[in-house]
Amino acid sequence: MQRFYAARAEGYPLVKINTHRFKEIAKEELKNTYSRGFLDIFSQFFPILRKNAMESFSDPQEALEKSAAIRRDVVARLPQLLDAFENNAANNGAKVIRVKDGREANTVIVNLAKKRGIQYVTKGKSMVTEEIGLNQALQANGIDAFESDLGEFITQLLDRPPFHIVGPAMNVPVEEISDIFIQRAEMKTPTLDPVELGHAARVYLRNKFHHAGMGITGVNMAVADTGTIINVENEGNIRMSKSSPKTQVSVMTLEKVVPDMQDALHLLRVLCRSCTGQKLAAYVSMDSGPKKTNEIDGPEELFIIIVDNGRSELYKDIQSRQALQCIRCGACLNTCPVYTKIGGYPYGWAYSGPMGQVLTPLLLGFEATEDLFRACTRCGACRDVCPAGIDHPKMFQAFETRRQERKKIPGLNREEMIIEMGFVIWGWLVTRPRLWELTARLTRKALSLPALSEPLKRIDGPVKHWTHSRTLPHPASQTFREHWKALKKAEYDR
Amino acid sequence: MIDDFIKEITDQTGEVYRVKKCDEAAETLVNIAQEKQIIKLIASTDSVIRRIDLAGVAAKSGIEIRTAGDFKDRDAFKAYAFEHADAGITGVDYGVAESGTLCLVHDENQPRLVSLAPLYHIALLPMKHLVPTYEQAAAQIFSTNAALPSQVSFITGPSMTADIQATSFKGMHGPKHLIVILLGC
Repeated sequence: MQRFYAARAEGYPLVKINTHRFKEIAKEELKNTYSRGFLDIFSQFFPILRKNAMESFSDPQEALEKSAAIRRDVVARLPQLLDAFENNAANNGAKVIRVKDGREANTVIVNLAKKRGIQYVTKGKSMVTEEIGLNQALQANGIDAFESDLGEFITQLLDRPPFHIVGPAMNVPVEEISDIFIQRAEMKTPTLDPVELGHAARVYLRNKFHHAGMGITGVNMAVADTGTIINVENEGNIRMSKSSPKTQVSVMTLEKVVPDMQDALHLLRVLCRSCTGQKLAAYVSMDSGPKKTNEIDGPEELFIIIVDNGRSELYKDIQSRQALQCIRCGACLNTCPVYTKIGGYPYGWAYSGPMGQVLTPLLLGFEATEDLFRACTRCGACRDVCPAGIDHPKMFQAFETRRQERKKIPGLNREEMIIEMGFVIWGWLVTRPRLWELTARLTRKALSLPALSEPLKRIDGPVKHWTHSRTLPHPASQTFREHWKALKKAEYDR
Repeated sequence: MIDDFIKEITDQTGEVYRVKKCDEAAETLVNIAQEKQIIKLIASTDSVIRRIDLAGVAAKSGIEIRTAGDFKDRDAFKAYAFEHADAGITGVDYGVAESGTLCLVHDENQPRLVSLAPLYHIALLPMKHLVPTYEQAAAQIFSTNAALPSQVSFITGPSMTADIQATSFKGMHGPKHLIVILLGC
């Protein structure tokens, strides 16, 4: 299975995957005061926004439990639901194409575009197309792909990975956006006003929407019962891509399917509240097939590409399956104490934060992603807000267990051996009270020397993960026991 | 329910006008056009819009009103919607009170770009099309043996974004202004 994943990642060499550089990039990003400042504010106000929105449910907890139950049901019945969706979508007149991996998906879409003489496409935000590197594949074949979600548009121009699954460019300073818009998006005068920057993008992309021959979108939900695909957005760029071009290609992964419209509507409510703190996003559009012949706009042909890309393989494992419950709302990112310090770049692929830490290792294998799923404090904030019922920390623990089991050389490596020895010595010491007290006193003396605190930070070896990343607390002038003794003595003297 | 609906819409910067009769709606439309300096208008031809005397409105106010049928082909229609129309006017199939959502069922009489391409979307909603939740609308649209509509849109406020520095503003790619005329109060 491991080899299978490695081979898959090689299957689309055009995507930059940097998951193995997690620590390195995280260290860099921790120094980025601009992003840090943004994340500090964002992580304060966003969870409140979400919480307020959830409170518009008569029983928020029940609403979350219901959405989690729907997602569990979807995953339990995934193969049957997919077949039903495929049949019903085909009955509606859509052409449904199932592909096994990113390479095949890219080939199919590139060929669809080539056959129709398409020069450029407009794109709605779609994480799966980020996952498989569709833009790069189109570009390599001479077809321009214009990301049209404002955030995606900016990250595309800057050639940067998404910072956040919902707001991929939220952290980018306005100065930088102004510069790149002047260079590459026909903006005339520099501006630092987000509204004016947005307007410049509107003007630039409007022309693309008007004349694009193909619109490519993702899918938020695929309703099995009716064969309908649903997109959720605020900007109108997805509706544009589904209204103006003659050909629509909507790309989804297996797990987007939901049983029926009732379930879809409940998920919609929970998704929007979790994602942006809205009751409903500005636009929700539901397509059941291409336009009818007498309609003047809308796509003449609708292709729905169902991408597997390793998912049916991970579906075989009952524990890993839980990852497929995710509905990509991004709520887990906004509450994660790790994400809200380092931002999205260190995660190294399309998916960041806890949801990425769950999905990415299952898709790319544990070797290249071990730093990813170990970057967790086990606080469980992600699990508490998750509308899909995913227990992220438990998944990470399971990954770690499996990683250990899979290690080529069983037993401890040198570093782990030293740590183990340390515990043996510690155990010996604490069972000898006098010796322990003496050691503790000496250690405290040593730690309170200012000359020692800096060098301590630079200690290498097995303890460096503790000493490098945090400052040791300054020991109090008296221990509790010394203090107690003094107190008792004072009492006695009186 | 009506109050909830209006509150939700105005929370999203939408404007709501309440009128009793269709001729009043036409008058309101003329006033809106004059106030907002709307000169060119693209209209749907759905059953709600057909109740309004648009030709009369055009004559009275001097605004140009076009419908899909006025164009020789798809490209001409698109060009007008994208480049010329100041506003699009549509009927509304269902108004959903829980979030102030307008539900539009697209077909030959409800083209997609009318409510999407121009800066203003003016929506005409008969009072009896108001429902409390999405489910009532969906049940009527999707529980049918006939062919499903090619597209259904839920519209909640104007087009918006918060992608730059989490600063929220309206009018990203679609309309910047949403005006709802509530008919039959």
